[in-house]
Amino acid sequence: MPIHDQGYRRYGGERAAHGRAWAVIAFAGIRTMLRKRSFLGLLLVAWAPFFVRAVQIYAAANVPQASFLAPTPEMFRDFLAQQSSFVFFIAVYAGSGLIASDRRANALQIYLSKPLSRVEYVFGKLAVLLAFLLLVTWVPAIVLLIVQIVFTGDVSFFVDNIFLFPAITVSAFVQTIAISATMLALSSLSKSSRYVGILYAGVIFFSQAMYGVLYQVTRDSSWAWVSFNANISQVNAFIFRMRPTYETPWPVSLAVLTIVVALSAVILERRVRGVEVVA
Amino acid sequence: MVTSNRPVPTIMTTAVRIFELSLGQMLWSRRSVFLAFIAAAPVALAGLIRFATFAEPRLLPQINGERLDGTALFGLMIWLLYVRFIVPVLGMFYGTSLVADEVDDKTITYLFVRPIPRGAVLIGKYLAYFVCTALLILPSVVLVYFLLVPIGGGSIGRSFPLLAVDLGVLAAGIGSYGALFAWVGARLKRPLVVGLVFVFGWEPGVLLFPGYLKRATVAYYLQGLVPHTMPQEGGVNILFQVFQEVPPVPLSLAALAGVTLVGVWLAARATETREYVLEQ
Amino acid sequence: MVIAADHVSKWYGQVIGLNDVTLEVSPGITGLLGPNGAGKSTFMKLITGQLKPSKGTIRVLGEPIWRNPALYYRIGFCPEQDAFYERMTGLEWVSALVRLNGVSGESAMALARQAIEMVDLADAAGKKIGAYSKGMRQRIKMAQALAHEPELLILDEPLAGMDPLARRRTIRMIKDWGRSGRSVIVSSHILHEIESMTSNILLINQGRILAEGNVHQIRDLIDEHPHTVHVKADETRALARALLADADVLSLKFESGALVVQTGRPDAFYSRLTAIAASGEFGAIHEVTSPDDNLQAVFKYLVK
Repeated sequence: MPIHDQGYRRYGGERAAHGRAWAVIAFAGIRTMLRKRSFLGLLLVAWAPFFVRAVQIYAAANVPQASFLAPTPEMFRDFLAQQSSFVFFIAVYAGSGLIASDRRANALQIYLSKPLSRVEYVFGKLAVLLAFLLLVTWVPAIVLLIVQIVFTGDVSFFVDNIFLFPAITVSAFVQTIAISATMLALSSLSKSSRYVGILYAGVIFFSQAMYGVLYQVTRDSSWAWVSFNANISQVNAFIFRMRPTYETPWPVSLAVLTIVVALSAVILERRVRGVEVVA
Repeated sequence: MVTSNRPVPTIMTTAVRIFELSLGQMLWSRRSVFLAFIAAAPVALAGLIRFATFAEPRLLPQINGERLDGTALFGLMIWLLYVRFIVPVLGMFYGTSLVADEVDDKTITYLFVRPIPRGAVLIGKYLAYFVCTALLILPSVVLVYFLLVPIGGGSIGRSFPLLAVDLGVLAAGIGSYGALFAWVGARLKRPLVVGLVFVFGWEPGVLLFPGYLKRATVAYYLQGLVPHTMPQEGGVNILFQVFQEVPPVPLSLAALAGVTLVGVWLAARATETREYVLEQ
Repeated sequence: MVIAADHVSKWYGQVIGLNDVTLEVSPGITGLLGPNGAGKSTFMKLITGQLKPSKGTIRVLGEPIWRNPALYYRIGFCPEQDAFYERMTGLEWVSALVRLNGVSGESAMALARQAIEMVDLADAAGKKIGAYSKGMRQRIKMAQALAHEPELLILDEPLAGMDPLARRRTIRMIKDWGRSGRSVIVSSHILHEIESMTSNILLINQGRILAEGNVHQIRDLIDEHPHTVHVKADETRALARALLADADVLSLKFESGALVVQTGRPDAFYSRLTAIAASGEFGAIHEVTSPDDNLQAVFKYLVK
């Protein structure tokens, strides 16, 4: 045909299979956050403890007088615990607007009018927060393990503590999934990311304060199940085979975290809708 | 027709009008569910403790050989829940969003194209925050008082002056935290992060150690007004108690009044001069 | 002058919203016209005192607007954004805003009712704004802008979301407002809306003012674009032969029963055509129109 049609042509290429749309949402969300310089700064600061620990491991391996700094399994558990303050700020920064901003912009209707299920939408958003939280918990902890092998030049510590790799993985995932699910559920409750951030801080610190009062009244730390952070600490202690900080049994803490995640799922199911029915 | 030669109403007159406009919105908004929950949780906890100690009087712990009574429990709740958590969080929650909420909702335009001083908008909203928060929190404190004080034979009448002082302290806390965070919210682009660092990082951290840094907190001055002595035990706590410096009451009152007035004035000034670019 | 801008620039970080704008807006109805992103909203925000110029000065009704709240007694602004206190009724909302104009309670209610009637929302005044349709929301916004009877009304996309009937009523109201001696500045990117309200325009694009004044005068000044004249006549070919002799006729085209002429000097051309029509030399001339003596043409030629 000598003269070609310049008009609209249908897309004739390949299409991805159903069920992969969550990855598009996840990558878009990650790219958006990484464009913010202040967020990159926060991620950098969150890796500062890693560098401190790396120096500690190096010193312990190469300076005889510093052998008391040698890493122990406890060090890895403590490292994850210390990262919790960064986890809090990253969750607030990256997570509070995940669904709230979409609700403010009335974008949920647009998203859900595409061949994208609500589950994919939620998983995509969850993946954004999980990615960043794991980047400051699981990734540096695993890299520390590798650094330990590299700096000492032998794998004896790793072999003697072979449980550390799955322990770090499970512990990091328990923490990040509980936090991500909670934050995402809270984000779906409002159109203001600022309000969501404060709600999340309220959940964390109010539960801590309530436990504080109960402990002062009863002098019994088995009330720790009331505190979100204490439950994570209890489960982590069990995973790392350490002595727990509180008297709450770890299955109770795990059950509480599971209930929180389940409640978050229920909230998300009710709130992530294409249309809002106004009575 | 309204003529243009009229002077602009005074800041306080306008602030009262903005207060009337904002109070209803604040009280009946969905966010007040959060406020109501925060106010109800200590009451529920107090009820639980009251019920538990009624069923099992030995539940209450002993400190230095003496069993805690209701007045001590009430003081504990005031300090641990209200002064150290509820009041600062609500101050941060509402204070940082006084004007920011109107900007996010894009309704700020209607207020800023009126013949009123812009600072009055902030002051009116601050007054609405103060009344709204006080209306919900102070009755909660009273209920906790009536639930806890009778435990262990405490007298509601004898301890009533303590309640009055506590209510005053909390009102002062609501005012000063609100003013401080109103200024933070008016000046900074990301007031929430600063607020969280201040309330959950700076204040708890700095109060533990001796020195002048603790004067850069609101909790230090509120501490000076709280009438309850906190039960202390354990070596570390006693050591901290030695270092703990409680400011005199007149200084605390003056500092809190200063924080409130200066915070509100600075926030109003910031609102006058700042440009608000609404998201398209 | 209603608005006087002197070398005004406004930038947001690296982005220039308005670039060295100097203009004066006379009393009456003025249309602010430009494509999306042209700088209309920035200009609106500057003249309503929501933003401060990065450079230059702006005076509204003879006074600087930034941090001059007293001026707002004389100004009414209808913003573009769809934002309200949704839980309030229309009447409550408008009267609350009128009270901020220094009017006491009863009078504020009366003025609010009057304004709401003017925008044909009296039946819905007692309903919550959250339940209003898009058109009703737009009208209640207009009501709050004119309730206090300002001298200058600034309307940012006032017809957005309105149905055709409401549009006609609003356009008529704006024209009445202009006829009563008040000034109105209306911003829009929809040309025929502006055209139906006024022929006095301010054309803006990419942060610069392209043209200001009467649309026909502006058209005349656009030299590089010849005027197109559409002539319906009985003897088009004979008429064409006669017109071709004139050096001002740049091109000719035949359409069914008509002649389309392009001329660089429309005034001279019209004079000659009038003389030809009067003489009846080439039969009857039934119709003479100029399809590009309008805002659309001006817009198209100036906004590249």
